[in-house]
Formats: sequence, structure tokens, C-alpha cells
Amino acid sequence: MFLAQLNNELWKLFGKKRTYIGFGAFVLVQTVMLLMFKYTRWQAQFERMLSGNGYLASDYISALTVALVMLIPQVLLLLPLYVTLVGGDLVAKEAEDGTLRMILSRPISRFRLLLVKWLAGMLFCAVLVLMLDLVALGFARLLFPWKGMFAFFPMHQTFGVFPAGEGLTLYAFSALFVVANAVAQLSVSFMFSCFNIKPAAATILALSYLFMNMVMENIPFFRGYQNWFVTHHFDCWQRVFQTPAPWPQMLQSEVILLAISATAFLIGASVFQVRDIKS
Amino acid sequence: MIALNQVTKKFGARVAVNELTLQVPRGEVFGLLGHNGAGKSTAIGMMLGQVWPTSGEVKVCGQDVQTRRAAALQKVGAIFEAPAFYDYLSGWSNLEILSHYSAPTSSERIREVVQWVGLNGREHSKVRTYSHGMRARLALAQALLPQPEMLILDEPGNGLDPEGIAEMRQTISRLHDELGLTILLSSHQLSEVEQLCSRIAVLNQGRKVFEGRMADVKAEQGRVLLKTPDFPAATARLHQLGLITAASDGKHIVLGESRTTAEVTKALVAADIAVEGIWQQDQTLEDFYLSLVKSAPSKSNPA
Repeated sequence: MFLAQLNNELWKLFGKKRTYIGFGAFVLVQTVMLLMFKYTRWQAQFERMLSGNGYLASDYISALTVALVMLIPQVLLLLPLYVTLVGGDLVAKEAEDGTLRMILSRPISRFRLLLVKWLAGMLFCAVLVLMLDLVALGFARLLFPWKGMFAFFPMHQTFGVFPAGEGLTLYAFSALFVVANAVAQLSVSFMFSCFNIKPAAATILALSYLFMNMVMENIPFFRGYQNWFVTHHFDCWQRVFQTPAPWPQMLQSEVILLAISATAFLIGASVFQVRDIKS
Repeated sequence: MIALNQVTKKFGARVAVNELTLQVPRGEVFGLLGHNGAGKSTAIGMMLGQVWPTSGEVKVCGQDVQTRRAAALQKVGAIFEAPAFYDYLSGWSNLEILSHYSAPTSSERIREVVQWVGLNGREHSKVRTYSHGMRARLALAQALLPQPEMLILDEPGNGLDPEGIAEMRQTISRLHDELGLTILLSSHQLSEVEQLCSRIAVLNQGRKVFEGRMADVKAEQGRVLLKTPDFPAATARLHQLGLITAASDGKHIVLGESRTTAEVTKALVAADIAVEGIWQQDQTLEDFYLSLVKSAPSKSNPA
């Protein structure tokens, strides 16, 4: 029955149009970014950076490099937006529509219902990130050749060049860390969704929480407390491209993200357990 | 099948249900009456484990809803006012989804229920294309899927047109007669309750002000319309003879126990008081309900 109930949640989630807003927005943004990279001075800046470091630009301005460039703003800005939108809907929208009352007239425990919803949300995150990575790479391949990868993240002073095969492996591996980010973001909005509030309020609260973390993390006074801010742990996917990769630090961040996700779920479940569900 | 024992529910300072004790016996069509805000939906919410009581005990099918909710609701179906579905999915998909929250349900069972409620032919259409009546049938179908022994209907007639209400009434009768279901019907449509229910409870401001058989309500009638040129003299004489227990508004009398209109007529004629007309008046549930609700604030001990 658990799998059937999980299947239910996926069916409901992927059956409604608003779930696809994120997918549509990613495709649109990626198209715009791709064209900008191709036809503005953006590409020339990358070429200068590569040649300034002794690399032949034509070997590294490739589909992989452009796909990675397109991912950075989307993972930072668009992904949290769409993931929290879906997470905020998971419980609050059903409560608002009245379907939650129909479900809770059935002999299913509230905890179990929330668990299948949360798992469905995680699967949504995985699908969204997979689609984001594949479409970015697919679109970039339409206009750029399949060559080596150039990864540049100024915040971590990451500058790496990789052969195409290794670049693709790292690109795929980094997606796992992006999924972990998305799950943590979804879990926070899911937690708010379990409160007696509107779906939009749950999304706004989650985004506010994430934004507040990001702002505080960047205030010099809090530099020594960066580990306490969830957004600090969201850049593991970029650290994958560092040589050598800081594995202990990345593992610590992933454990913290996992703990935040689980804690958010448990807080949401506890609040939901004692709530009165009324029309 | 349902037993509420001294159940109270408070929302902040507001007492929605106050020390409610209620028994819904197996096999009954039980009406829960009350005005808007009387506490009916809160009481039903507590029976379904959706609203947590502040104090008291709620048992459904012999199981405590607070501690053994899954066991308590295993054989219970529920329909709410304005039933909500996933409009972007078909009726069939909605039934599949909702059935998975109870127990594994075969396609054959879903087909059987769709047939029973008369939705066949439209079960694969999106719910957003359904009329209000079709949604009501779908709500009934989802409630019947787990082969319940009991149905809880919370204001099922709200929003239906007269034809829909008549259909709903027939359906409830069929559910009781053909499937042998125990039914708890919450409504403020008194005529429906009067026609359908064998037992009723009346809530007013969160308190139960009456619980009893519908037959008892009717037996309480004994109200007689008496047309006579001298009503005060007539009632004085009838009181003197112990034939009536009350008289009101210059035309109504209430007969004493086992007394008949024939005895009253005979007594008045013997006392030389003209009788222009006398006939038994049926007290409707509406009369009964209104009299209860109007007198309720003065009652310190609810039934």
C-alpha cells in the first residue's frame, strides 16, 4: 500500500499544470542564456580568461562549459523558487481545496500521509534537476561542440579544465548535490505547508528563510558562523569541480543538509499531527 | 457504532461542542440536527479523527478514534458538503487515489461502485467537467469503495437543486435498505431528516438538547386544534376533567395521556359549549425543532 500511496502522490503532483511551471521556466531561461552566450560578449570574456591562463579557448568553449555556465544562476535563483512553490503546495493546497479532508476521512495516519508526500516531493526534485541538467546540456550541444569542460566559480576560486569524458562525469555527479539542495529547500517549504496557512504563504516563508540565510551568510560579522546558514551548504555542487575536491567539507555539508531536511519534515509532521482539519 | 462520551471541543475561548454524549446504534439512519455553527461538523470531525477533542472519548466501531484511528475508520465512509476532488484527473483516477488510502481495491470493485451510483459512462471524464450532481455521486462512490458498514454524511444536500435533493434522499434510503448501512446524516434540512431518519439528536450552541427516536417526536404530538366560541371556558372545563394538559394561543390544546378528541367533544357538548371544529394536528419536525431551539437557552440540563 505504501508504494500505491506514493504513486498516488506522484500522480497528483505530476497531473497538475502548475507543477510544470518550473520545467517551462527552465527551458525558457536556458534558451535565452544560450543565445546570450553565443551572440554577446559573454563568450569572448570566457575565451580571454582561458587564453590568459594559457589554454586554447577553442578547446574548452564547449557544450559542457556552456551548460555549466547556464546552471549557475538557475541553481542559485530559479531552483529554490520552483521547488519551494511545489513544496508549499504539497499539504497547504490540499487543505485549501478540501481534498485533505476527504483523504483524512480514510484510515491512513497523518504521519504516513506526510511521509509519502515528502518522498514524492523528493522525487520531484530529482526529476526537476535531471531535466535541468539534461536540457542545459542538450541545448548547449545544439550550438556548441563536444569538447573539454572549463569550470569557473569565482566565489571558491575554482578554475578547472577537464577532458570531455571527465567533465561529463563531474557534471553528472554535481547533479546529485543539486538534488540534495533542492530537497532541503523543498523540505523547508513543506514544513511551512503543514501549518494552517495558505500555500503561497508557505512558499513565501520558505523563500524568506532561505534569503535571510543567504544575506546573513554574506555579512562579514557572521563569517565565522557560516556553517550555521543553510545556504552556505548549497555550493557543494560547485566544489565537485575543485581539484582536489574538498571531500570532508562536502560530506559535512551534505550531512547538515540531510539533517535540516529531516528536521523540517519532523517539525512539519508534529505540527500537522496536532492540527484540527476543518472545512 | 458511534459513541461520544462527554466530548468537549474548544477553539480558543469558544466552546464548539460542550459535553456531548451521543450513541448511534447499528442499523439506524441517525439525524444530527442543528443550525449553522451548532457544532455538527465539529462533532463529525471528531468522529473522523480530523478534529481532536479537548476532553471526552470518541469511539467508532468500538475503537477509540484518538488512539486507534485506522482501526476505527476501516469500515467507515464519509461525504462532506461540497465534496472536493482532483479536478484535473478523471473520476476513475480520483476513486483509485482515494481507495489507496483505505485498502487495496480492485478495478472490479471500482466498476461495481461506479455502476451503483450511476456514473458509468462518465467515469473516465475529467472531474472538472462534472455537474454538481455528478460530483455528489462521485463523493458517494468514494465513500462506498471500502465496503463500509457506516456512512457519515455531513450536509450532503447543500447546494443541490430540488431534483438533486430528491435523488439524494432516494439514494440514502437505498444505502440503508439495500446495503444495510448505518447512516449518520448531519443536516439542517428538516424535511429530509424527517423522511429519512429513525433517530435524531439536536444540537444547539454546542450542546445536545434532544436525542430520541423520530417516533418519539411524533408521539409527543397530541396537539389538537379546537374551534369553539368560548375557548377559555372550554379549556377550563377540560382541565377540570383532566382531559388536557395545556392550552395555548386561543385555539390549541394538548390532550392528556390516552385521551381522545371524541372524549373532549363529548365533554364540551355535555357542558353546553359549542364545538365548531376539532382535529388532531401533526407536529412537524420543524415545529419540534424550533420549539427546542427557542427554549434551549433556558435549559440547564441538556437531554
